[in-house]
Amino acid sequence: MKSDPFQVMQEDSPNAYILHLSGELDLSIVPQLRSALEQVMNRSDKALVLNLRGLTYIDSTGIGIIVSVLKYRDEMKAPFFVREIPPAIQRLFDLTGISRYLKEGIEDEA
Amino acid sequence: MKAIRLQIPAHADFIDMVRICLYGIASKMKFSYEDIEDMKVAVSEACNNAVLHGGLDTGDEVIDVCYETDDDSLKIRIKNNGSGFVYPNALDMSAPLAVEQVSDLRVGGLGIYLIQALMDEVAIYTTGNVTEVVMTKYLTAVTEEG
Repeated sequence: MKSDPFQVMQEDSPNAYILHLSGELDLSIVPQLRSALEQVMNRSDKALVLNLRGLTYIDSTGIGIIVSVLKYRDEMKAPFFVREIPPAIQRLFDLTGISRYLKEGIEDEA
Repeated sequence: MKAIRLQIPAHADFIDMVRICLYGIASKMKFSYEDIEDMKVAVSEACNNAVLHGGLDTGDEVIDVCYETDDDSLKIRIKNNGSGFVYPNALDMSAPLAVEQVSDLRVGGLGIYLIQALMDEVAIYTTGNVTEVVMTKYLTAVTEEG
């Protein structure tokens, strides 16, 4: 097993701030992810999108951060979408119950 | 029963070592990909709790991990010093997210729930300042059909 270092890459599309997360999202990278999110979380001019295509691992610390973003954007009434969830990660989202609150969004919105 | 032991500093930067070691042992035992993924999350959750709630912040706390292999099971013991974590209540209270409103969602508390959901058996022992999480996964018999 190769341990994939966690990376965040930000992409700004006309309608969305997209954060591409890759590697292993565990407790050790919480400060890194939080600081990346702080740049865009309170921007209501565009949607916020997390793209998880390259994510190889997540646990409750990462799920907790997604829940906190969900609550924050909900309070702001600003769109927040989570896209391209790998099957192993989708399974944990289903188990923890977070799936029902996540939206993929459509291109018009984001 | 054969035991493999690992000791890491009680710091988030070393939890990946517990997963890497688990991966090696579980692969050799021929656990399925899904079972290994489940166990990776479960051991990390136990270590997360040890890092977040254990320890007295003197900087030299450790987490002791013991992987006990048997013909049909892998038992992982994760032990730390630290008094902050009251497991018995946590076990009863753990549950998935199930509220109607996003604003009512809670941010923490999913770790213990995940450990229980992902492993076949989970037990938690607290003695003084020492907390030990013991979790077991059984090798499911490979069917010869098809």
